[in-house]
Amino acid sequence: MSAILRLALRDLRGGLSGFRVFLICLTLGVAGIAAVGSISEAISRGLAAESRSILGGDVSVSFTYRFAEDDERAWLERLGEVSEIADLRSMIGLEGRPEERALSQVKGVDAAWPLYGEAGIDGPPLAEALSPVDGVYGLLTEPVLAERLGLTPGTLVRLGTGTFEFRGTLTSEPDVASQGFNLGPRSLVSLEGLRQAGLLGPGTLFDSLYRLRIDDGNLNQMRAGFKDAFPESGARWRDRRNAAPGIERFVQRMGAFLILVGLAALAIGGVGIGAAVRGYLTRKTATIAALRTLGASGNTVFAIYLIQVAVISLAGIALGLAFGAGAVALAAPILAESLPVPAAFGVYAWPLFVAGAFGAVTAVLFTLWPLAWLREVRPAQLFRQGVDDLQRRPAAAQLMLLGGMLVLGAVVVLALSGAWNLAAWVMAGLFGAFLLLRGLGWVLARVARASSHQGVARNRPGLRLALGAIGVPGGQTPGIVVALGLALGVLAAIGQIDANLQRLIRDQLPVASPAFFFVDIQNDQLAPFTASLDTLGADRAETAPMLRGVITKLNGIPAAEAPIDPSGAWVLRGDRGVSYAATPPPGTVITEGTWWAEDYTGPPLVSFAEEEGRELGLSIGSTLTVNILGRPVTAEVANFREVEWRGMGINFLMILSPGALAGAPHTHIATVHTASATEAPIMRNTARDFPNVTVIRVREQVERVADALGDLGSATRWAALAVLVTGLAVLLGAAAAAAERQVREAAILRTLGASRQAVLSSFALRAALLGLMAGLVALAWGSAAAWAVSAYVFDADFVLSPGTALAVVTAGVLLNLLAATGFALGALNRRPAEVLRLSAG
Amino acid sequence: MNDPHILLENVALNLPSPAGEVDILRGISLEIHSCETVGIVGPSGSGKSSLLMVMAGLERATGGSVRVLGEDLTAMGEDALARLRRDRMGVVFQSFHLIPTMTAIENVATPLELAGKPGAFDRAAELLEEVGLGHRRTHYPAQLSGGEQQRVALARALAPRPSLLLADEPTGNLDAKTGAQISELMFRLAAEYQATMVLVTHEVSLAASCGRLVTISDGAIADDQRKAA
Repeated sequence: MSAILRLALRDLRGGLSGFRVFLICLTLGVAGIAAVGSISEAISRGLAAESRSILGGDVSVSFTYRFAEDDERAWLERLGEVSEIADLRSMIGLEGRPEERALSQVKGVDAAWPLYGEAGIDGPPLAEALSPVDGVYGLLTEPVLAERLGLTPGTLVRLGTGTFEFRGTLTSEPDVASQGFNLGPRSLVSLEGLRQAGLLGPGTLFDSLYRLRIDDGNLNQMRAGFKDAFPESGARWRDRRNAAPGIERFVQRMGAFLILVGLAALAIGGVGIGAAVRGYLTRKTATIAALRTLGASGNTVFAIYLIQVAVISLAGIALGLAFGAGAVALAAPILAESLPVPAAFGVYAWPLFVAGAFGAVTAVLFTLWPLAWLREVRPAQLFRQGVDDLQRRPAAAQLMLLGGMLVLGAVVVLALSGAWNLAAWVMAGLFGAFLLLRGLGWVLARVARASSHQGVARNRPGLRLALGAIGVPGGQTPGIVVALGLALGVLAAIGQIDANLQRLIRDQLPVASPAFFFVDIQNDQLAPFTASLDTLGADRAETAPMLRGVITKLNGIPAAEAPIDPSGAWVLRGDRGVSYAATPPPGTVITEGTWWAEDYTGPPLVSFAEEEGRELGLSIGSTLTVNILGRPVTAEVANFREVEWRGMGINFLMILSPGALAGAPHTHIATVHTASATEAPIMRNTARDFPNVTVIRVREQVERVADALGDLGSATRWAALAVLVTGLAVLLGAAAAAAERQVREAAILRTLGASRQAVLSSFALRAALLGLMAGLVALAWGSAAAWAVSAYVFDADFVLSPGTALAVVTAGVLLNLLAATGFALGALNRRPAEVLRLSAG
Repeated sequence: MNDPHILLENVALNLPSPAGEVDILRGISLEIHSCETVGIVGPSGSGKSSLLMVMAGLERATGGSVRVLGEDLTAMGEDALARLRRDRMGVVFQSFHLIPTMTAIENVATPLELAGKPGAFDRAAELLEEVGLGHRRTHYPAQLSGGEQQRVALARALAPRPSLLLADEPTGNLDAKTGAQISELMFRLAAEYQATMVLVTHEVSLAASCGRLVTISDGAIADDQRKAA
């Protein structure tokens, strides 16, 4: 064993006191990242393992508003067993009491469903639950819908024009994760039953899905074969390799984001780590001085303490990995229960490696600075001043080394983050905030120090002492401002973004939004429907023909190959609403081009949403092909319109000239503005006279979206809590480091006649002042970050949420008070005589 | 004769240590009267500093009775003891114990501010002039020499015009010449303020300047001699 290693380990025998904060910070950060990474990996593996069940087959092919044509179906059947499903939203009401209705996402399945996995049913077996008994088909619903309508086995319900018997509840659905956001709870019926209820006729809004069980074969070839055979079918093809792309993408993004929040926790912990190393070296002054006197070179001393720090870092990282992986393993049963997607929990190497690497980068970056100057310091300086009192002017070589490590660390984090773009922004934000807070901490210390000698502190020795302690050179102020400022800033940003999103959804939209959306209004129902709305006193109703279509070509180029702005890619991802009109709908603002003549009968023209049109690279005169009900319609862009998606009015991406859709079966959509008093009569009347029409209450849906966002927000808040706990650990470390000074000050003050309360007040005052200032700084930068996210990511106005702001500032004061008070009480409990005898000046 | 300023009867002090309880003071009885100057001497570890701490109310006697300036210290709470020191005592330490974040004048003004007395800074400035540091009033302790720091500590101790001045090895950290200057200053100012002065010292010359010399050995009084008037 080399002499340096021997010396390093021998010196460690003196104990690890002072490294507690180091270990806590590193362990917490690494554990958090390891846990999030492990959960994310478990979900990815769970999705991969259960991909067939999630998708409902090896391949899923879906059509909009139509079933597969005979030749399409025959082609699919050649590949393997086929299961046919129809999916639509509709109203379910109690038989005989049509006013008792609720919106449901209805799925009609054939006898082959599910090809993979099993449906969880509280009731008879699936086939029995759905089959007709005395001509009445069975129906299963999610428990929440059964509860809402008071359904018990045997209850008859109305769906479309058909009557169904409620036979049990659907507790789990194997292929639920591959479906999108539902507007209502799920109901399950047989496909035949649904057909007989008149809900699958031409023009009604439904999706058909064909799930295939395929024993073997090349999925890529199959996909290409289908596309070649039916290039204009508008069908969407998905296979088991990518069963739930939305969820996968979401989990990856969320995982990356949470890991970056963990990285923020590590960065905050880094402040504590740096302070702990500095404190450790201070206590080792005598040893360092003795080693240098005995002939140890600067590099030797540096190496000795680097080894020690490396040992502690490895211990912290190992503990963090153990806690992170262990916590996930312990919580696996609960997590598996609460996650809406399958997860294969286990100990996975990659997320643990990433967490360990992040921990190592943090440890290196934050310990290098306090260690590096050991190479330069002269022994005489140590004897005379001690480590803590030395002026540490960074040498150029040290700065370069640190800069190099910073760049290297950033590269490692970017490479391992899984979302480098997001990681780059988060790191830039953290680095900027770190520099800002460090600078502010320095300014704050200077200002406090100067203020302690001003009139405000005259005759207030408690205040003077507090300000003096905040301003003491080489003190804890910059570290506390950075740690608390970063932690609270992250909280402030998350809180403000969350509050603004909630405000946007709950408060802002409903003001201008309609009370109801009505869909599936048949052509022959349109006139009596609008007339009944007038009779019932609705303020305003707007209607429009409604179809859906998939854009398949842009200027003759297949949509998948067309050069477009990535921000417009969502337009091509699925089917979009399409309407037609002879004249511009009321309130239309045409930004370029002109509307067609009212009696226009020429080739199809289209009016396109301006922003999305530009993103797709369209201009006036461009052509696009839309597949509507299996029929490709190629139209020329005649004009661009302004579309305000947040307005909750009737907005269509595409409005075609009337002739383009001549003869295509379609229904109508209506938005209705009305006073709350007339909402119930309109609901009742629609249920009675237009049972096939689906009612969507806007407020209910807004609440659902807000709740979903709330769940998302709570995941983020848990991550933010980890940041806060790390911040608190740093504060405790800082308070511990300042404790010795506090003990001495308390003894002197008590000797001079200060009461215990006066001493405690002064200590509390300094903690509260520092916490207040850090809280205000955090609020400023956190709100600035939230504003940037609101303005540039959500494209929304930003309003400072006073509740969140107050919470952040209060948290700053309370956290620092909490951290400092324990030590202050400890200082007061020491006997002054003992303290004064032991301390020298 | 007036009531004694300090009256100790059979005072004992036991303190816990890793090796068990240690008897620091064993049955000390002592009377010190107004305007006396008393030097407490003895070998290291004999208990003389602890005795001074007991007189200042900074250490609680574990046995016997301690009356200082007419008050029974053993019956007083911590805050009452602090008030007594604030209003009527001054304490000087070997290690000065100035507050490092405060300037010289702020250090001296602090006990007066704690007592809520008006004109604390004017009085502090006067005192700094008196100890010869008028020109150093805005300096921090770290910017002052050892002798200067002790002068500031002395000025701070005298700020409330104390009836009792207690000093623990006041020249122990100073060179001979500076120590002599501090010693001369302390005696002059104590006389000027008509304060009773008790000081613990190893310095023969300093002890010789006192009117009375108490020798402590192994926690008990070994000798108590008054100089002939």
